[in-house]
Amino acid sequence: MMMRYIPFSFKPGACALMVMLALNCQAQQDPDLDALKAADLMPATVEQPSNWRLFVEAGAGANRARLGGASQQFQRLSLDLQYDNSFASGWRAVLSDRLDVNWPPQAAGLPHDINTIKEAYLSWQVQADQLLDLGRINARNGVALGYNPTDYFRTSALRSVVSVDPASLKENRQGSVMLRGQKLWNGGSLTALYSPKLADQRNYSGFNPDVAATNAENRWLLALSQQVMDGITPQVLLYKAENQPVQIGLNLTALLNDSTVVFAEWSGGRSQSSFVQAMRQAGVNYPDDGAFRNHSASGLTYTTSNKISVTAEFEYNGGGLDQEKWNSLGLTSLPAYGVYRHYLQNVQETPAKRSIFVYASWQDALINHLDLAAMSRYDLADASRMSWLEARYHLKRTEFALQWQRNSGKSLSNYGAAPQMHSWQLLARYYF
Amino acid sequence: MKHLKISVIFLAMTSLLLGAVQAAQSPQEILAASDVVRNPDYPFGLTNTLIEYRAGKQTDTSTLSIYSKADPNSGQFRSLIRYVAPARDANKLILFSGKDLWFYDPSSKASIRMSPQQRLLGQASNGDVVTVNLAKDYQAVSAVEEDTQDGDRQTKHCNKLSMNASTPDATYHHIDMWIEAGNNHPVKAKFYTESGKLLKTAYYRRYEKQLGIDRPTETVIIDGLDPSWVTVMRYSNLVKREVPDQWLQRDYLPRFKPE
Repeated sequence: MMMRYIPFSFKPGACALMVMLALNCQAQQDPDLDALKAADLMPATVEQPSNWRLFVEAGAGANRARLGGASQQFQRLSLDLQYDNSFASGWRAVLSDRLDVNWPPQAAGLPHDINTIKEAYLSWQVQADQLLDLGRINARNGVALGYNPTDYFRTSALRSVVSVDPASLKENRQGSVMLRGQKLWNGGSLTALYSPKLADQRNYSGFNPDVAATNAENRWLLALSQQVMDGITPQVLLYKAENQPVQIGLNLTALLNDSTVVFAEWSGGRSQSSFVQAMRQAGVNYPDDGAFRNHSASGLTYTTSNKISVTAEFEYNGGGLDQEKWNSLGLTSLPAYGVYRHYLQNVQETPAKRSIFVYASWQDALINHLDLAAMSRYDLADASRMSWLEARYHLKRTEFALQWQRNSGKSLSNYGAAPQMHSWQLLARYYF
Repeated sequence: MKHLKISVIFLAMTSLLLGAVQAAQSPQEILAASDVVRNPDYPFGLTNTLIEYRAGKQTDTSTLSIYSKADPNSGQFRSLIRYVAPARDANKLILFSGKDLWFYDPSSKASIRMSPQQRLLGQASNGDVVTVNLAKDYQAVSAVEEDTQDGDRQTKHCNKLSMNASTPDATYHHIDMWIEAGNNHPVKAKFYTESGKLLKTAYYRRYEKQLGIDRPTETVIIDGLDPSWVTVMRYSNLVKREVPDQWLQRDYLPRFKPE
């Protein structure tokens, strides 16, 4: 109606103005338009899967020694390769290898260069539900985060420890040579594996495959999983190592609510205590103390809406020493203490029975692409503690991380006996 | 002339009948029909490229291979997701089977059970990334005809559905969804919390003929609080493929290697 009073020559300009005002008004009212414009910029390229993954990692840091408080600097260069290729229908080749070059060596008597053949095996899918694998395989079991009593093939698997982060300890270890078969069905599976004795003598030279580390005895394992109700799929394991009775294992997880997962892992069977096994391995004749012993890890993981996950885990090692015996061992016999600690390092067990493990991670903490992680292990028998913090910033192909670790406690306690009081290291990783 | 009259009457009756059939479609049926547009009703595989933008700048990207199959009991999809990129995540797997969520890292060989709250893909929730039949988890309570702008800035005549979560598996409390009248193409959806707060808006756009029918090849997700935070999910390589039930369990994750 207004148009009737506007001179004809002004009509197009007025219309354009009104349209612009209307569009501007709409744009102000609807921020979705800007978002959709941003989305229009998305490139059309699609990444293709690769059979290779290769990264190089450089690290530098410093330790502060417990005795004397001297500071020692260290550097490391690592090369990590994974190759996983389905080279023919039903056939798959897997190779995973890592080279760590350390200055100075990680421990006295070890070489600068440590190469770990983590995995090297062939896999044949006989049918869609039947698989066979042969070669060096990192066979892992266990649903807990900090301590996995059903991870039977962890013994002597660590060649080079570059971080105390549980994920790193699980990743950077050598597999055992084995033949493994698996049968799957809807909601369950049965896995059987046999890992034979292949060598007696350990070889600690840097590039030796050190077959004796993980294949010094005949071992077999059966693992059965079956869904019993919606969301509940227990796994039962039977494990037998030469000269040891059968061990039974159980893994169970459940969803408590939308933000909480509970888990329980248990292994039990007749065995000698860790102390007697350590002494016998060192050639000391110790009386038999065989008994049914339990090992377990149970806890929960809670996740907040802003991507913070916290895991709390109670760990029980029934093969460890009682509180009193552990606290007095170093005072009564230092050599026995040394033999025991050396053995435990190999089998990745705690010296005493009870521990608490807490792990927290925060994805995209404070700023985008920054992940924070914190971990604490607390030995309830001697009140010693290991604390670890990590800040990791990642770009498309590059990562930077700062790690800090502190070991505290009495001088011969679980963590207080560590040669380093605290340490830090800065890491840079590049993926090719 | 008589024939013409009969033809006109016949056409009018046919139109009325078709209109009546259309009108008879319940809100829930419209929702189910839009699910079929988004998701093939047979096992399939696709590549999902996610790119995140903040204030117009690309801040993150992931590429995922997704294999999905409907569970015959629940009707809901079960999915196996493999990271293709970035390199640090390549070959990691996520299994979604209802609330049974597992994350598998091939480096550490660790299978870790996750809660639905644990998001691994930035702004996009797990429910956004995996294939979801909304009609299985939500009850559409009303349908109102309304014009709206689609993701390509075209005006579309839609049925605006209001739907409420009907199962504990539902990710959102309630959703408003605009579905194009006549072809049941999902156009836009707004996802809300129980308190009525807008969590995100999604646009289903760039329709292309895939596996026989027109399907959206992009979803643009806009954050409810910060509209400059945008995640685009682009779907490619959609193929019909067998996804054996045996694959969709924790114990298969270490063995999964698609050829």
